[in-house]
Amino acid sequence: MPSLRRLQGRNNEGTLLLVLIGLCVIMSLLNPVFFSINTAFSIMRSTTVPLILALAVLLVIISGGIDVSFPVVAIASAYTSVTLMLNFDFDYGVPVVFLMSACIGAVLGLINGVVIARFRLPTLIVTLATQGIFFGAMLTYVGSRYHPDLPPSMSRLSTVNVVNVVTSNGKAYLHVLVLLAVVVALLVWGLLKWTMFGRSLYAIGGDYEGARRAGFRVVRTQVLTYVLVGVIASLAGVAHIVMSRSANPQDLVGGELDIIAAVVLGGASIFGGRGSVLGTVLGVLLIQVINNSLLLVGVPGAWLRAAVGILLIVGIGIQTVSARRKARRVHSVEDAATPAGKEA
Amino acid sequence: MTTNVEFGASVDAAPPVLSVHGLAKRFGGVVALRDVSLELRPGEVHCLAGENGSGKSTLIKIISGAEFPDGGQIVVDGESRERMDTTSAIETGIQVIYQDFSLFPNLTVAENIVLTSAVAQRHKFHNARRARAQAKEIVEELQLDLDLDADVGNLSVANRQLTAICRAMISRARVIIMDEPTTALTHAEVTNLFVLVDKLRDRGVALLFVSHKLNEVLRISQRVTIMRSGAVVTAGPVEDFDIKSITKFMTGLDIDDVRTLPELSPEAEVRLEVVGLTLPGAFWDVNFQVRKGEILGITGLLGSGRTEIAESLFGIVPAERGTVRVDGESVAIGSIRDAVSAGIGYVPEDRLTQGLFLEKSIADNIVASSLSEHRTKWRVLDRRRIRATIDELFQKLHIQAPNAKAAVRTLSGGNAQRVVLAKWLATNPKILILNGPTVGVDVGSKAQILDLLREQARRGMAVIVISDDEPELVACCHRVLVVTKGRVSGELAGDDVSVETIQQSMAV
Amino acid sequence: MTRKYLLRGGALVAGLSLALTGCGTVGETSPTPGQSTDGASSGDVVMVTVVKAQTIPWFQRMEQGVKAFAERTGIDARQEGADDVSPEKQVQIVQDLIAQKPTAITVVPNSPEALESVLTQAREQGIIVVSHEATGIKNVDVDIEAFDNVAYGSDIMKNLGECTGGKGEYVQFVGGLTAKTHMEWVGAAYDYQQEKFPEMKRVETPIESTDDQDTAYQRAKELLAKYPNLAAFQGSAGNDVPGIARAVQEAGLEDKVCVMGTSIPSVANQYLADGSIDKIFFWDPALAGEAQLQIAKILHEGGKIAAGTDLGIEGYNDLQPMEGFDNVFVGAAQVAADAEAAKQFDF
Repeated sequence: MPSLRRLQGRNNEGTLLLVLIGLCVIMSLLNPVFFSINTAFSIMRSTTVPLILALAVLLVIISGGIDVSFPVVAIASAYTSVTLMLNFDFDYGVPVVFLMSACIGAVLGLINGVVIARFRLPTLIVTLATQGIFFGAMLTYVGSRYHPDLPPSMSRLSTVNVVNVVTSNGKAYLHVLVLLAVVVALLVWGLLKWTMFGRSLYAIGGDYEGARRAGFRVVRTQVLTYVLVGVIASLAGVAHIVMSRSANPQDLVGGELDIIAAVVLGGASIFGGRGSVLGTVLGVLLIQVINNSLLLVGVPGAWLRAAVGILLIVGIGIQTVSARRKARRVHSVEDAATPAGKEA
Repeated sequence: MTTNVEFGASVDAAPPVLSVHGLAKRFGGVVALRDVSLELRPGEVHCLAGENGSGKSTLIKIISGAEFPDGGQIVVDGESRERMDTTSAIETGIQVIYQDFSLFPNLTVAENIVLTSAVAQRHKFHNARRARAQAKEIVEELQLDLDLDADVGNLSVANRQLTAICRAMISRARVIIMDEPTTALTHAEVTNLFVLVDKLRDRGVALLFVSHKLNEVLRISQRVTIMRSGAVVTAGPVEDFDIKSITKFMTGLDIDDVRTLPELSPEAEVRLEVVGLTLPGAFWDVNFQVRKGEILGITGLLGSGRTEIAESLFGIVPAERGTVRVDGESVAIGSIRDAVSAGIGYVPEDRLTQGLFLEKSIADNIVASSLSEHRTKWRVLDRRRIRATIDELFQKLHIQAPNAKAAVRTLSGGNAQRVVLAKWLATNPKILILNGPTVGVDVGSKAQILDLLREQARRGMAVIVISDDEPELVACCHRVLVVTKGRVSGELAGDDVSVETIQQSMAV
Repeated sequence: MTRKYLLRGGALVAGLSLALTGCGTVGETSPTPGQSTDGASSGDVVMVTVVKAQTIPWFQRMEQGVKAFAERTGIDARQEGADDVSPEKQVQIVQDLIAQKPTAITVVPNSPEALESVLTQAREQGIIVVSHEATGIKNVDVDIEAFDNVAYGSDIMKNLGECTGGKGEYVQFVGGLTAKTHMEWVGAAYDYQQEKFPEMKRVETPIESTDDQDTAYQRAKELLAKYPNLAAFQGSAGNDVPGIARAVQEAGLEDKVCVMGTSIPSVANQYLADGSIDKIFFWDPALAGEAQLQIAKILHEGGKIAAGTDLGIEGYNDLQPMEGFDNVFVGAAQVAADAEAAKQFDF
């Protein structure tokens, strides 16, 4: 019993893993083509950007807030960097692009953080507002032009793959930026598990007032969280531009709810205090598998959106029900135990 | 020489860890504290008693650095200062355990114990294994039975409290201030707590207890300080006090906590009859009757099923089997709606989360459950009658607030409890079930609430009081049912109802 | 989803994507100086073209047509528009124009419904109103469309069929299954294929790309995995073919798979260059802008627009009324461009 519960995970990661595996099995049965390296690589590739974004949101959600501005922060910082490089015709290599975007992302995140933490405004409202402001500012001051050609260093990276195998159904590539997602996931995992900053996020998300009383530097932590979200989101922005081989200022924007849904699917509590990197990874993967394989297994084009919606509800439903079961079990066990302990 | 004199005065006159002298504090025009002095010595349990608004909370806040005094001095280890801030309070070893414990429900026991001290020491990194080891050490040292890996959100109130105490101890606390530590605990748990308190005392920790439960105060503390209206009325060794004198100092009145029952005529009709009520896992085959004008007490240990019985009568978690009759008519209670329309009202245990809309005004809360009774024949709300109801109940229940428009969040526990009561009285129920009606309420308010219940009974209401506060049951109940492990294990009536008999039948 | 469309949807140019946006001057253009005051040839004739937004390259291209018209005819013609795609701002601009009593207003509406009432006002004041890309709008003298949707769809299929040699499997993409024009294009193409290329086979009902390059890319990858012998893709939204092209490129199938559909040169150039897109289809906004003004000029001079009217502008030499409407005329201004041809356009 205890070992089973451990497998289930604190945030139901185990359940989620089962759902994911089950889904893959069903899809493979429906169309054997699904069960191939090509599909796996393709899903990993399409998971990259959403995963990095989801990890950013995970931090905010754990801290008890919500951020809807991150896609705009992502695209604004990356698009601004690319535009600057094209307009002033410089290119010092990909690391500099990432660094530049990260700086812009940090500034935008700082704006979010300062407004939220200093004035203690609701995070949803603030980020909804800044989302519009950042987007408008980018279109006005940076430009709204679609750049079909990227700076050379970036367009070179567009076609770099870490794995390159020839399979029975053609070539399969694994894009190099998949590694970026892995690195970010590991960093966020370490941050949450091994640093006081990570633990304070959980504490603040669990009980804001309690955290303040316990001496956590709540304001500082919150500001830092949003800065971090800005930085991580900006990495996703650059990754997106590189992988789509063009810079479109309208990209990513509007996808925030899908990402937040993935994080919640991954077991994070929308009320804060709960969530894990593993769960988030699984949540994003699950959504990407659903999103990218339905056509393959024979769902007609017209039904794709409905099917995604249905599977999402089923997924979140299973998650929630088993989480609730778990809570109830703990409760009843304790009720039974209390009187016994008292008699002792 | 002088030192000799001081030390030689008496055995328990070790130099105080912390003392305050002549503290004063105003909030706007209101005087919260006036010339308050208090000494805390190592290894003593010091009780701070006083009614709501007597200034206890303000004093605690000043000691813990959450508020700054307008005048007076705080002396720590013989060093005098004008104010304390949160950080230096923690550094000095002053720890407050608030009523809500300020624990993180989403973190494990181990993390809760360790995190605060890690924050205070400005740690940058967190090592889960080391943290767990540290927590384990302190838990074992205090010989507690705590599951270090459990989420605090899943713990019982008592275990949360123990976690909070461990957290204080790991920060090398020398002064632990506990705000109402026993209100939410059952007897056995209180006993456990007191065992732990003795251990802490042996280690030289000074404990400041803020409590309303006077019998407990007398049991555990060595010294008592009583406050009224922002000033210290009296202080001294516990031997100098008894419940009656403490009550008198606190309220300035003589309050008799004696058995006063509303008259109950032998032929009063049965209002509520419960037959064979069963909810597997919670309670089995519960049978009882309550007559018009009768106050029935239901008691039992936490987890015995007493709360579940009340909740199923009110339709929160409906029973699976059994019959409920109101005024002889059988009613099916499958939801709260059913219960309300059958004339049942319920004042829940956790009034703050279950009973009230905290952000709404007292007035709104009072009529929240009875809007349908305040409609004109055109089925629109009758504002005048609503106003009348609010005014009447606001007055009658002595809710202490500037006016009925104040948000409930701003009220103290006792006053919030009265609003819940008012809310249910406004529906004019036939049967009113109260779960822990005076938990966290001071002596004066308690007496008033019990009086109110007696008055409602006199008017023909059937009242059920669920409580583990024996004096309260003795004070107002005609009969008391004892629930053990989900079954009614005993019934006391008439002169058999006393603190001793209740405790005996619960212990069986 | 709705938000996405709110933010993006505005810039849809009859199925051309927003991706076609570009920077440029922000705010309204001031009246072109130096043309009207002397009133040499055309006296006080003033014509204003109101576009969806001045900041979009598509409309910057249209402005070139407006200027060309002004130069050619000597009429004081200018273009106005807000700095973003907003129906309210457009209504405001038209309202301000009515006060100035120009001879004609030509408009590319952001929302035909929102404009109805101001356009009524304009016509009551005797102002000639001509619209573009607003089939079904009521209060205009004439609505001019660049081409007939059926002809356009058939044209794409004709080229696609020639590219595949009239054989093989193909799929069609649309921006949204509810996008009427897209569905008309793919419907006409499908009909054309069944009639002319019986050996070709459509293997899926139209695929929705939500006008998103990444979605188009993902779907194309899935389709390539599912149908290894796929021979052709037809795109409808501006983001369809670039997305498809990326998938084709990655699979190294540039030479085997034909990709054709609506797009604009600036977006498609890099893919046209390596053959992952074979041909793109669009119409030239400059000519459309000029055509609107030419119609206004004809109406102002007392002429009439009827079947066969020749505006003297390429692609608008033989206007035809659109079936089911009394005020809509279509040209034959679609442009099909391969890599070479596309380079000549700068939008």
